[in-house]
This record gives sequence, structure tokens and C-alpha cells, in this order.
Amino acid sequence: MISYVLRRLGTSLVLTVLVSMITFFLLSTSFDGIVRSILGTGATAATVQAKKAEMGMDRPVIVQYLDWLLHALKGDFGVSYFTSQPVGTAVADHLTVTLSVVVVALFLTAVISVVLGVLAASRGGVVDRLTQVASLFGYIVPNLLLAIGLVVVFAVKLDWLPATGYTPFAESPGRWLASITIPVIALMVGGIANLSAQIRGAMIGELRKDYVRTLRTRGISPRSIVLRHALRNAAGPAFTVLSLEFIAMLGGALIIENVFALPGIGSYSFNAALQGDVPIIMGLSLFGVLFIVGVNLIVDIVNGWLNPKARQQ
Amino acid sequence: MTRIRSNGPRARFRALPVAITASALLTLTACGGGTTGSSSPGAESLSLAIQSTPNSFDPTQLTDGQAGYVWGALYDTLLYTDNKGKLEPNAAESWKYSSDGLNLTLKLRQGMKFSSGAAVDAAAVKATLERTMATPGAQQGQLASVKSVEAPDATTVVIHLKQPDGSLLATLSMAAGVIGDPATMTQKSTALNPVGSGPYVLDKSSVTGTTYVLKRRADYWNVKAYPFQSVTVKVIQDPTASSNALQAGQINAGPAAPENSAKLKATGYKISPLKATAVANLVLADRAGSILKPLADPRVRQAINMAFDRPKIAEQLLKGAAQPTLQVFNPAGGAYDPALEKTYPFDPAAAKKLLAEAGYANGFSVTMPGFIYTKAFEPTVTQALDDIGIKVKWTPVPAQNNFSAITSKKYPMFLFLDGLSISAREAGNNFTPGGFLNPFHSTDPELTELLGQAAGELDPAKSGAAYKKVNEFAVKDAWSSPISFLGNSWATKGVVYLGDGSNTLSTIRAFGISD
Repeated sequence: MISYVLRRLGTSLVLTVLVSMITFFLLSTSFDGIVRSILGTGATAATVQAKKAEMGMDRPVIVQYLDWLLHALKGDFGVSYFTSQPVGTAVADHLTVTLSVVVVALFLTAVISVVLGVLAASRGGVVDRLTQVASLFGYIVPNLLLAIGLVVVFAVKLDWLPATGYTPFAESPGRWLASITIPVIALMVGGIANLSAQIRGAMIGELRKDYVRTLRTRGISPRSIVLRHALRNAAGPAFTVLSLEFIAMLGGALIIENVFALPGIGSYSFNAALQGDVPIIMGLSLFGVLFIVGVNLIVDIVNGWLNPKARQQ
Repeated sequence: MTRIRSNGPRARFRALPVAITASALLTLTACGGGTTGSSSPGAESLSLAIQSTPNSFDPTQLTDGQAGYVWGALYDTLLYTDNKGKLEPNAAESWKYSSDGLNLTLKLRQGMKFSSGAAVDAAAVKATLERTMATPGAQQGQLASVKSVEAPDATTVVIHLKQPDGSLLATLSMAAGVIGDPATMTQKSTALNPVGSGPYVLDKSSVTGTTYVLKRRADYWNVKAYPFQSVTVKVIQDPTASSNALQAGQINAGPAAPENSAKLKATGYKISPLKATAVANLVLADRAGSILKPLADPRVRQAINMAFDRPKIAEQLLKGAAQPTLQVFNPAGGAYDPALEKTYPFDPAAAKKLLAEAGYANGFSVTMPGFIYTKAFEPTVTQALDDIGIKVKWTPVPAQNNFSAITSKKYPMFLFLDGLSISAREAGNNFTPGGFLNPFHSTDPELTELLGQAAGELDPAKSGAAYKKVNEFAVKDAWSSPISFLGNSWATKGVVYLGDGSNTLSTIRAFGISD
């Protein structure tokens, strides 16, 4: 198990360095344009050259990358080209907002999906059909559309929830909850559709297996069979889907944060990309890679622990 | 979604999703004191939405766009442009040019203080200007005509120029005219929370890039010009989001997109439309025909000007928040000439005839850069030019490369949306050899003469007539094909918008408390 984890860690590290290097090299083709947009329209060629020299952009790209990497290894990710805010602070600030929304959405997605999936699989009939219809609905309604609809009803018409913005938890837990409510609902609908269908399928598969019949003949209560035995066995694949949902939600946050003017990672990275704020883009992409690699690593380890066969892959 | 799911037959589970996702949160919201009650701005405060994130507050890195709502509150400028577009004294009480226009003497007001308590004096002005001139940044180019700065005494600043500069006074009312604190200006903290000489200081509750909370200084010399105790500037990029924030009462001033105006009016907002704040201009840059030969012929450039049905574009494509035009000069400024609007009526047949006369009966092809902001115009421009025989191909350009694409000399023509400014600056950007909207450095002896005369006229009130001649030349010789002025609207409730579009600078002095 330890060598398995070490191998996974090793490949993750290589992947992280590779992605950051590719990102940097892709950005390097825009360095000239970025300097011009920092300097604005009045800049002369001489000013552009001077600024490039000041920013170290007159050096070979590989040298610039290694410089960035060495500083990053020491925990220095530089400052934003435009606002002068340190990258670490900026990413952490915006990350808090995104994670507040995504983690709550993910938790609710997991809870609701398990409830719906288990109910649909174990009861069948009308419950099952209703769940499937709801799931289909959740699948086809884009979360952007849903978000806009919810804002119009709950924020603009009824004035129950704020239409835009984010209140930190520390400032006011009540207002924090209010500020994330609609974004959370908008984000989790697609996830529930996906995950509940997955759990339903896995549960039906489990409930048809021989060991369930054996348990029944031994007089174990149906409730115990469903929740303690079948659900545990169905949980592995569901966990993988949930981890994918986590990553998908981070992507969905990009759109949702724009609609609600939430200062999260999504809208922030969009801006940084538009402006060509290299330190911020590098910081965000590094975080993104580490995050996805981290989630995958956890999934692999959990799967390896659940299923020893996976460790040999 | 949750409602449908909750229709499951088991009562036990029926309420579950709703309970978790809505009711519980709503109840807690109520406990938290509601949302609009605690966060909605009161009469003494201004809370406005802007779309772009302010840059660093280092005086050398300021930008003149919407960021001015924030830095303009933190820093005093030497002069000030009022809501009617007139230059007024500010930190400088008076100013005087030498007869040759090469020395500008500014007299500073006494008793001004930085937020740190230090005195604002001529030495601070000199230090700021010199640092801006020496530091690559958005403001460096604005002071290109300045040779040196002197501070003979605490209240006198003398700016020596390399050549007369008709736009210098206006420049000193913008970002290049701010007064930084010499003691802290070069420190890192200045970029995020500067010691300024302006009416407000940045509050701790500000979040860089998201929300800027400004608190009024009691010891500011001109405190009566700033009626709001506190100003909150929120960065909201999505127009629908800012419209929602207005309707929900989270802000009391914000941009109103044409499609949202009616809704906002219905909820009690006053809509102040500004007819022209920018111009959509098809720059016919390669006037010497160095990479696209046809453009060297004025008849071709004139034909292009005849290809657009401008009133229809303003009405249908731009939803009426626009004004058809053939000129790049601010209609509120002295260089604008209504008579010139009749120069090129929409006439594709005449345009084709002109092209044939120039030897391009079969038309020609051109590649133009596609920017994010040109997307909406691209089909219309393509169609209009195609109708007179010019085939357009658009090459998408990433946002951060906008300026470098324009200045790369790769594109003989390009569509540019330019914010309106003062005549001298508009002429400089569009028609001088070094202007960024003149990437092929086109010149013409007649135009050079006219530009020289205009730049030599140092009285802003008189320079309009001189720039009118520049404008006339540019329209007649078809240096570009402007399509439309673009307007925007402010929606306000509890506060008023005082501007009429004459001053295109972003300043919180355009807002007042409503009666």
C-alpha cells in the first residue's frame, strides 16, 4: 500500500511540474501583448522594452520559468501584474468563496443523492419513476438558467436572498448562508441528477446479487440489507463519481460566480486570463492541478483500500 | 428542481431536500438580519457598481477608466474637470502658461494634507510627476512632453515642456495629475492602500478586486464637494448581475443596459442616459497601402464610409443606446462638427462606383482582428463591406493581445471601441504619427500643419476650433470609418447622477444626494 501511494505521489508531482511548465510556455507567446496592456495605449516601444526588462521578460522563457519554479518552491508566487496583490493572498481569498459554495453544494449533493438513489432502487415503482424524471430534469436544465431563474424569484421579486455578492462566514454566519444559498442550489442540481442515477443503478445491481438473497433468507431486516450491506458495496463507484462532480462543480463555479458577482476562483481566473495576469494565472493553474491531482489521489487511495486489486494497476 | 424531487410519496423524505436547501437557509437569513436591510446603502452613502477591476494604486500605475471612481477618491489631482467638461482649479488654485507655451506655472492651495497628516506641497507634486515620468506605466506616456519639473517654493510648481502641449492641462486633471505622498509612494503598501491627498481613505473592509469601501476624511480641504460619508465601489462584471443588484437594492447606482432600463425604471430608479461615452470606429490604418494597396486610395476609404447604414445599426444592433457618426471626436467637445455628419450617406451603389473608379471593381479581401468587444459587430461589418465587394476575414485575438495586435502592423484595418476624451487626446491617439490608433504612422503635410496649430493653442476654450479643422481633414480624407457613438446609462435611486456626458472621466463627483 505504501509503495502504491508513493508511486501515485511521484506521478502527481511530475504531472504538476509538467502542467505548470506548459502553462508558462503557452502564456509566454502573449508576454508582449501583456506588457502593452499593462502600460496602456500611450506606451512607446521604448517604454515597452523598459517594462519588459523590469519584469524580467527579456530573458529566455526557460530561464523565466525556472525562476518562477524556484520561487514557487520557496512559497513565493509573486504579485499580480495589475493589482499588485500577492498571488498567495489573492488565490486564498477567492478560494474561500468558491470552496464555501462548492463544498456545501457537494455535501448536499452527496446526502440528497444517496437518499434519492437508495429510495428509488429499494422501493421501485412510482418513487423510482419520479426520481428518474427529476434526475432527467436536473440533467437537462443548465445551471446557468436555473441560477438566473432563482435570482429573479428569490432575490429580485421576493427580496429574501441577496442578488449578488458574498458575505464571509466570520462577518455574519446568517448572511453568509444567505449569500451562498442560490449559488449552491444552482450548482448541485446537475450533480444530484448525475449521482443519484449512479447510486440508483449501483444499488439495483447490488440488491440483485446472491449475497442479498442470502442475507434475506437469514432474516436480516430489509433496512439493514439496504443501508448496511448494499449501500456500502455501491459506495465505491459513487465516491468516484462524487469526486468527478467536485471537479465539475469547480468548473461550473465559473459561470455561477459571474451571475452572482461572487468573488470566487471562477470569476477571478476568467479575469486573470482576459488580462494576461501571468503570476495569477500560474498560481491558479498550479492550485488547480494540485487540487485535481489531490482529489484523484484520495480517490485512488480510497479505492485501493476498498479493493486491493486496484493497487496492482 | 428540489420541488419536483420533494414530490416523492414518503412524507419522511418529502421535505428533506427543501428543508436543507431552502427553508433552513431562509430561516437563518432572517436571523441574520435580512439581506437588504443591513447591506442596502443609506442616503449618506453611495454604493455603485463598476465593471472593471482597478489597478494598483501606485500613482505611476493608475488608469483613467472606471478605476477613477476609486483612485479619484483617494488622490487629489492638480486640476479637475467638472461635470460640464470644464477645467477647474483643484489642488492647484491657479495656473499660467509662459507666452511661448513652454513653461506652465501652477500655484498650489495652502493647508492641504495627506491622509497621514503630512503637508501636500510643491515638493510632493514634483516628486510624483518625476517618478511618473521615470517609471514605465500607463501614465508615463501622458507626460511625454514634459522636460523637467521645478518646485521653487512650497506652493509653486513649474513644468518645463519640450514642446507646447495642448492636452497637458486636461492630463493634469486625470491620473497623471495625482499627488502622491513622497514618503510612502515607493513602498509596497501604496499599491494596495495608499497614503493619498484625496477626500477619502480606503477602509479595512475593502477586498482588493471585489469591493472598495471609502470613508470620507474630515480634514480634507474640499469636503463639501463630496456629500457622501462613505462610498462603496463594487466590481460587478456581468451586466445582468449589476441590474439584479440594483433591483434588489444592494447598490444605489449602477450601469443600466438598454434591455434592463424599463425594469429598473419600474422599480423606482432614475435612468440618466449618456448619449456618447465611446466610439465604435473602423480604423482604416494602412493609408499608404503598405500591406493592403487599395487603402492608399482615398476613394476606397470613402467608399468604405458609405457602406454602413449607421442609423439602422444604432437602432437595431445597438438597441438605441447609440448615435450614428462619421467622427471620432467627442460630440460634447469643441472639435465635433454636426455638419460633417452628412459627408457620407449610406449608399452602397455609390460606394461600388467609387471602388470601380479606383480600379477595384471586383473588390478585394481584408483580414481584421476579432476582439471580444468586436464580436457583436462582426456579422454587420462583414455584411456591409461584402455588399460593396470587400470580403472580410476575422482573426480572433486573445484579450491580452488587443493593443499589440493593433500596433503590430499586421492588420490594415481594425474595429476599435475607444472611450471618448478631450479633443487634444483624441487627435493625438488617432492622427499623430505616434498615436496608437495610427499604427502605420500615417502623415500628411496638411494634417501635420493643422495638428501643430491645434497643439499650440493652449487655451482649452479656444483649441476646439483648431481641432475642428483636424477633424474636417480626417473625415474628408476618410482616415477612418467611424460607425457609432456608444452611450451608457446610469440607474440611480436615492442618489443622483449629475453628469451630462460632457466629462467622460470616471469620478464620484458625478454623483450627488437626491432631494
